[in-house]
Amino acid sequence: MSHAKEAELFNKDEAKVNWHDQALWFVRNKRDKAAHTVKGWEDLRNLASAIKANVLSNLDDYLVQFEENAQKNGIQVHWAGDAEAHNKIVHDILLQNNVKKVVKSKSMLTEECHLNPYLEAHGIEVIDTDLGERIVQLAKEPPSHIVLPAIHKTKEEVDALFQKHLGTVPSHGDPRYLTNEARKHLRDKFLKADAAITGVNFAVAETGGIVVCTNEGNADMGVHLAKVHIACMGIEKIIPEEKHLGVFLRLLARSATGQPITTYSSHFNKPVQGKEMHIVIVDNGRSEQLSREAFRSSLHCIRCGACMNTCPIYRRSGGHSYKATIPGPIGSILSPGMDLKKHSSLPFASTLCGSCSDVCPVKINIHEQLYQWRQIITKNVKQPVVKRSILKMAGIVLANSKLYGFLGRSSRFMLKHLPKSIVNSKINTWGKARDLPKVENDNFEDWYKKRKS
Amino acid sequence: MSRASILNAIKKNKPESVPLPQIDLSLFHEDIDLVDIFYKNLESVGGRIVSLNTIEDLDAEIKKRYPNAKSIVSCSNTSQLATISISNETEPHSLESIDLAIIDAQFGVAENGAVWISENDFIVRALPFIANDLVLILSKNDICLHMHEAYNLISKRERTFGVFLSGPSKTADIEQCLVIGAQGAMSLTVFIF
Ligand code: SF4
Repeated sequence: MSHAKEAELFNKDEAKVNWHDQALWFVRNKRDKAAHTVKGWEDLRNLASAIKANVLSNLDDYLVQFEENAQKNGIQVHWAGDAEAHNKIVHDILLQNNVKKVVKSKSMLTEECHLNPYLEAHGIEVIDTDLGERIVQLAKEPPSHIVLPAIHKTKEEVDALFQKHLGTVPSHGDPRYLTNEARKHLRDKFLKADAAITGVNFAVAETGGIVVCTNEGNADMGVHLAKVHIACMGIEKIIPEEKHLGVFLRLLARSATGQPITTYSSHFNKPVQGKEMHIVIVDNGRSEQLSREAFRSSLHCIRCGACMNTCPIYRRSGGHSYKATIPGPIGSILSPGMDLKKHSSLPFASTLCGSCSDVCPVKINIHEQLYQWRQIITKNVKQPVVKRSILKMAGIVLANSKLYGFLGRSSRFMLKHLPKSIVNSKINTWGKARDLPKVENDNFEDWYKKRKS
Repeated sequence: MSRASILNAIKKNKPESVPLPQIDLSLFHEDIDLVDIFYKNLESVGGRIVSLNTIEDLDAEIKKRYPNAKSIVSCSNTSQLATISISNETEPHSLESIDLAIIDAQFGVAENGAVWISENDFIVRALPFIANDLVLILSKNDICLHMHEAYNLISKRERTFGVFLSGPSKTADIEQCLVIGAQGAMSLTVFIF
């Protein structure tokens, strides 16, 4: 199903969509406030972007350096070309250590590799320990946001889930009660786990160490109790030197949630005596993305989620509508590189307003890359699908006057670059659920001509 | 695809070398009251601050704040409140029902209210996460401006495990309502002298 179709489903519950929209916009505002308090914020973004560019241009050397230093510290390093190899490596480590129960903290990479179902099929219990991830795991759903995995769930839905799976009493969705019940439930899991799997926010070539950031403390609870720690990272997580963490940690949480830093920024350099630490370095299409000049910088991404929070389409279509591990603007430029046909509607799920690029802490030109993907897709994927996607998406956006106000830069851009047949097609078909703003409806043609000249 | 083929693919596909930028610290310098900003930021992330007139008041003040704490681990020489002693042989699971952990912080970071602690400061890695409540002891003179200075301060450390800790554990995963006390410590108080 195309993104537009999926978005339509999400839009069936209008109250929920409005809440989703506003909740994310609130997070976006917090990000703005946090950014404005930092002297030299733009300099930080420039630095981060330049450091990442340097990383990509020396990635093989940095990876080798990282491996060497990690090994010196007693960390075992593994390499996986694709998701399958990654899953197998992780499973083998677990087998060798006779592991039956695993606790896992947030890692989009393991989502991408579908590690959980793989391990479960081999009889291993995998518990996601980030509260939001645990919620979606219980609901048998993928996360809908990379930082706020359960942002699409209402508290009443969480209440019902916890009653069913954790045996809680009805609480009308009291967040404090539910969080506390989850704490007890997860504590038990932490105490019984044989191995902990974590993601990696940053891997430092100079030291061979990794940094993992959480707010809940779940990564640390898992790692420090279990006898085996497996950290999974994409090849692009490397940064050259430890002092560069100063740049990235200043940007990450502020961009993500408006916090000045995550509660826990844990620096793992050496396993405790008698315990094992493994790092799995995964390619899974990244080296290929590196070859695409126009899309290469998508590998700068530090997964803060800011581009999602700010995106008018994401906020009103929900993360699941993207049908991709990484939803939202960044996902829409990463996913077509993995499977062009499957994800061909994603680059059209955008107004090209450029807000994503404006907030991105590592300055990825996301909206320009979306536009570039469109060019490739119109050439390579059957046309009607593409056009329909554009129309549907435009329909959803234009039908909402508040969103329409956003268009500014974007409408110009969109109109400039859309095929004429689409711009001139009956506007009425665009406004499916709601009426279009009157003025635009009447004067669209004139307006368009004026804008064009 | 093995290690070699991943590295080869990267070698083949990577762009021409781009220089590594220098971090110009003057861009981020500010003349501000470090203690004051640290206070404000720590409060904003849900932490509490107790300003001590003298370090001798420490234990009395801790008792006042945590009157019900029974199982207490102290890794600080300045506090005598420990009821349980730990060593690097201690099995982390045995710390499951620790009420309070008392740890010396190496330094604080004004811009985000974080403190840096590393394995040597708390002996068993699980301690600051598994303890129900956390007390950190920090000297007013050990607060730096920002993370650039912070990394400078820890650049020569023995690298095992260390953490920047900014407030108690928290989550907003249920409808964006902030709840303090997720999987880690339920409260965090910095005693400053
Ligand atoms: S693309 Fe930029 S804004 Fe989006 S998640 Fe990645 S780093 Fe954050």
